[in-house]
Amino acid sequence: MLFSQLVYRIAARTPRNSLPSCRWILSHRRYGHQPTFRNSNENKKHLDPFSLVGDELSLISMRLRSMVVAEVPELASAAGYFFKEGVEGKKLCPTVILLMATALNVCTPELSPNVLGNTLILDLRRRQQCIAEITEMIHVASLIHDDVLDDADTRRGIGSLSSVMGNKLAILAGDLLISRALVALASLKHTEVVSLMATALKNLVSGETMQMTATFEQRCSMECYMQKTYNKTAALVSNSCKAVAYLSGQREEVATLAFEYGKNLGLAYQLIDDILDFTGTSASLGKASLTDLRNGIITAPILFAMEEFPQLRAFINSSSDNPANLDVILEYLGKSHGIQRTTELALKHASLAAAAIDSLPETHDVDATNARTALVHITQKIITRNK
Amino acid sequence: MLIYRGLSRISRISKKTSFGRRWLPSHPLLSGASHSAAAAAADSSVKVLGCREAYSWSLPALHGIRHQIHHQSSSVIEDTDSQEQLDPFSLVADELSILAKRLRSMVVAEVPKLASAAEYFFKMGVEGKRFRPTVLLLMATALNVRVPEPLHDGVEDALATELRTRQQCIAEITEMIHVASLLHDDVLDDADTRRGIGSLNFVMGNKLAVLAGDFLLSRACVALASLKNTEVVTLLATVVEHLVTGETMQMTTSSDQRCSMDYYMQKTYYKTASLISNSCKAIALLAGQTAEVAILAFDYGKNLGLAYQLIDDVLDFTGTSASLGKGSLSDIRHGIITAPILFAMEEFPQLRTVVEQGFEDSSNVDIALEYLGKSRGIQKTRELAVKHANLAAAAIDSLPENNDEDVTKSRRALLDLTHRVITRNK
Repeated sequence: MLFSQLVYRIAARTPRNSLPSCRWILSHRRYGHQPTFRNSNENKKHLDPFSLVGDELSLISMRLRSMVVAEVPELASAAGYFFKEGVEGKKLCPTVILLMATALNVCTPELSPNVLGNTLILDLRRRQQCIAEITEMIHVASLIHDDVLDDADTRRGIGSLSSVMGNKLAILAGDLLISRALVALASLKHTEVVSLMATALKNLVSGETMQMTATFEQRCSMECYMQKTYNKTAALVSNSCKAVAYLSGQREEVATLAFEYGKNLGLAYQLIDDILDFTGTSASLGKASLTDLRNGIITAPILFAMEEFPQLRAFINSSSDNPANLDVILEYLGKSHGIQRTTELALKHASLAAAAIDSLPETHDVDATNARTALVHITQKIITRNK
Repeated sequence: MLIYRGLSRISRISKKTSFGRRWLPSHPLLSGASHSAAAAAADSSVKVLGCREAYSWSLPALHGIRHQIHHQSSSVIEDTDSQEQLDPFSLVADELSILAKRLRSMVVAEVPKLASAAEYFFKMGVEGKRFRPTVLLLMATALNVRVPEPLHDGVEDALATELRTRQQCIAEITEMIHVASLLHDDVLDDADTRRGIGSLNFVMGNKLAVLAGDFLLSRACVALASLKNTEVVTLLATVVEHLVTGETMQMTTSSDQRCSMDYYMQKTYYKTASLISNSCKAIALLAGQTAEVAILAFDYGKNLGLAYQLIDDVLDFTGTSASLGKGSLSDIRHGIITAPILFAMEEFPQLRTVVEQGFEDSSNVDIALEYLGKSRGIQKTRELAVKHANLAAAAIDSLPENNDEDVTKSRRALLDLTHRVITRNK
């Protein structure tokens, strides 16, 4: 069931007191839906996290497309390349952000308009959607630059921007997206949120830098690998979740829980991604498998395998030069517990993420509860996915 | 020749006149020089500079402002005027070196390799002319409002220091954004002699240049966030957008656009002036100034930046390799059509055909230069630069009155810069 309709049904049934009809107003004004009644079978749909926020996601996609217009047509088409329909990616991050917003937007007496200052509650959702937009712009900018750095040919199932429009335009398009993200960030007029997202950006760059400039010793270190993975994958979603919490007026402990959810979810996601690079197929990944290994990027399964078979190191060192080494490496990997241990580590982080949600302050709000359930559901989905 | 004539003229000026008055009568703005005389004014403004500057400009192959400062102080001992000739750069030299040190430590990343790549452009000798940070620091002093009621000394000082630190931060952020855009530009065009030594591109590879630019940009964002002023964030984010837009405009122009003066001025604003104008405005906002004052600061920066670029365009034709640090005629050789050629095309429409053919053929470059020589392209560009320099000076003159000595000195220095921008020859 769509978020707004669910909300309306609840509002229609339960009397409001402290903050009258706040969520009813939310649903009415924000989404412009005319409330309708659906039969109870459709209730089951709300268990799918993505459909809970499906409408909002489309709205965000539309806004993103309008936010990347530019004076120079070439720049506009380069910047908007990955916001076109069909190539917007899995939208996992915006989904998580919107669900976190719902999970935390609990109308308590403390969250009166006075506490939120001049910002009306009505605008809160819009501001949180803005975080999702900002996150997406930063994310796509980093993808575009990464493709230049990695000489990648494909991304999201189509040609990479750099291969289609050249390195020059790709770099500039990425910079434009960053500047637009910053402007949107500033418009929220919340300096802590600006700091959080600036930190996320800094981490992203650090992560890519670590990947490009690490020594062999560093590349063989699990600690460095986890730090790099945090920077490249988890930092953005963790800081966005925390930003959503701040916007929601939540206190520091709750913001930290939101952060922990994002961080552990991101780490789990990447670890499974590492496994899929060995076990997945071209068709399901949208990119060639064994990409990491071919590019000399050492991921968790190999790192674990190296602990069991130190002789593997020698082959790793020369793998980018000698393709025949790939087979040897895969053989060692198969003999080792590399894949299993990575899976276990991913599960551990997924559990930590779920635990963070469970630790959130109790609420009887149905929407918040559903959103929290959905967030926990996501921690399971990312483990069991095969693409 | 003009310079030596100027020297003798200045020595005749009574030393009893106050510093400011010495060159005000010849100030192009006040003398009401018309546009046709502006060209003469541009040359005569050399005469109105203090003799120290005139002396220094005539010395060959000086690079680095610090070098000039030392030369000035040692060579003109006989000037006993109580009000010293202000050298804008020396007014803030100490602060600038603190700033440079802080920048260097700010760019220390978890990854040393990248930090050294970014530092590459902050090392002494490759720092360009430190023009922008000088302008910003001077603007900061020129706008600083004194607290009306005398507070307890400690509090007032602490507040003033904190404000200054924040304004210095703007200067640092501006430099980081500027260098980031240069690094990304270097990925784009083959500027192998950027700033006089091998560009980062050749030295460390294309990819590291991309990364280093990203690194600086992200650090600038963090520093911006730390100022806790969202209006300032917006201003400087807009600068990044403008830099990118300007560069793309340069890359992707149609034939009509390349031959359009309006397009060229818009591109020049985006690529050169936006950074200075918006950071001047940010300085004003941090100082708690009114919107009107912020706009004046913006106008100063914008017009100064435009004047700077226009003279840069002229020097690309008239300067020398040694003094510019980049090959002369580099613009035209890269097919970048600048103001002098655009003006020449107005006089000689047939030049447009040559322009459209492109300049890979060096004989076309020679043809274009011939037309340029016959035309008033260079002069008109200088006139336009002087016009913008005057607008910048007017903005400073319109600032609310302030009798504080430091403020007055800084404002004079900012005015002085509007002259230097025109009269520099490198």
